[in-house]
Amino acid sequence: MTARQINLRLKELARDGAEVELLNPQARHNIAVGILQPCRIKVRGSVGYFAASLMDGPEVTVDGNAGWALGDNMMSGRIAVAGDAGASVASTIRGGQVFVGGNAGARAGISMKGGTLVVRGNTGFLTGFMMQKGRIIVCGDTGEAVGDSMYEGVIYVAGKMGSLGSDARIDEVSEEELMEIWGTLEEFGISEKPRFTKIVSAKRLYHFDSLERLEKTVI
Amino acid sequence: MCGISGIMYKTGRSRGSAPIGADLVKMLESLTHRGRDSSGVTVAGGRDEADLIIRLWTDDATRASDVLARSEEALLRAGGVVVSSQSWGEFLRIAVNYEGEIPALAEALLSAEGVELHSIGRVSEVIKDVGTPFDLDRRHEISQLKGTHGIGHVRMATESRVDISHAHPFWAYPFPDVTVVHNGQLTNYHKLKRAFEDQGHQFQTENDSEVIAVYLADKLARGDSLDSALRDSVENLDGTFTYLVSTEDALGYAKDPWSAKPLVIMETDDAIAIASEEVALLSVFHEEVDRVEPQESEVMTWSL
Repeated sequence: MTARQINLRLKELARDGAEVELLNPQARHNIAVGILQPCRIKVRGSVGYFAASLMDGPEVTVDGNAGWALGDNMMSGRIAVAGDAGASVASTIRGGQVFVGGNAGARAGISMKGGTLVVRGNTGFLTGFMMQKGRIIVCGDTGEAVGDSMYEGVIYVAGKMGSLGSDARIDEVSEEELMEIWGTLEEFGISEKPRFTKIVSAKRLYHFDSLERLEKTVI
Repeated sequence: MCGISGIMYKTGRSRGSAPIGADLVKMLESLTHRGRDSSGVTVAGGRDEADLIIRLWTDDATRASDVLARSEEALLRAGGVVVSSQSWGEFLRIAVNYEGEIPALAEALLSAEGVELHSIGRVSEVIKDVGTPFDLDRRHEISQLKGTHGIGHVRMATESRVDISHAHPFWAYPFPDVTVVHNGQLTNYHKLKRAFEDQGHQFQTENDSEVIAVYLADKLARGDSLDSALRDSVENLDGTFTYLVSTEDALGYAKDPWSAKPLVIMETDDAIAIASEEVALLSVFHEEVDRVEPQESEVMTWSL
């Protein structure tokens, strides 16, 4: 079956809220894309790029690895990958939860606009790059330039952190936040309760309250 | 976008008899969505028929036998003894015994009219062509080639024209066995090329990736280790790159500081496979093997 045929079939089954098992995907791209109804999809094996992307509602589990841009632009739902995820995991998600049981690549949570990304292992370069809303929880270490150019949202790192990105700063973590994080981790089967470093935007690059030069001329 | 792949068999198999050609074709076929303009492989460690294996190309198949004769004459004049030679279409392969300096031999060959040099290797040879890996295998019987290690490439052209000369792998003229496949674009290519040309290096093409091969070969010729040459390249190359290098007895990779291009690795007790995407690794390994995705500025080498 082609990826298109697989996705059309998944859509049909999703209409009835079915629980579907997808066997032997062989790390192919664009698996479980565009599913807009709540349903359960279990993928046995690894998936390629853009797996479980453009979706609204489903619960997708992958017992292998995922390629680049897992869950891209998800509106709501829940994705859990047992192995590693490639670069740009949870890119531009607007809601829902993405869980990576292993490590994630560069630009994890790039341009997130909501939702939660949890990585049990490490993340790479530019974690939370240009993030606009939502939460990233990294239980391991991060690469360099954490939170570079983030506007809003929050990044929590339990392990060693690379350098702070441009316009990112470290903030205090309250006990309420910690309880909330530990609760989220427990939802994904993580019983450890590590302490976290919190990274937010320093907002020195914020210029949304001032007019562009040409706009001023017009007014 | 391009796709790259590499494989090396360790001590488990009898040296030189591993299915390198077949593995590379399988891996590249599964990466065809990353590029269909041209394909190519370096297969290393499979033959012991002569001191050197030379791969040549001429732009006119009807003149191939003349070009082959001229190349053989050039080799004889340079002090070489031709062990075997063959031509099919525009492609020529010559095995030669030769104890002199490789640059002199390469120059002698290039002085023969109508010759383009794809590789000179003690143990490895470059086979490349326009079209998909399927076309490459059908035309050049890559799947039959055995060896110890090799690298491969499928190309979606961005930086220079689509023809056989600009297909990967690129050989580091005139350093035997050093070949490179690259996914990305180098932005300081012209600056580096001019600097190397000022030092007397020759370039065979206008493709940015060729400068990586020359860069590494230059470092190796100065006595640097492959690992050190790869590390330095991450500092000195500008742009986006993930590349693989194959030498006489080693395989390696380097990734740019932006982690802009993908790479995944699977390693067993028997072999190491590297590729742009996991789909290629699964064409030679089973899913139970752990996968590693290298991060920014990482380099790694494996030796036989």
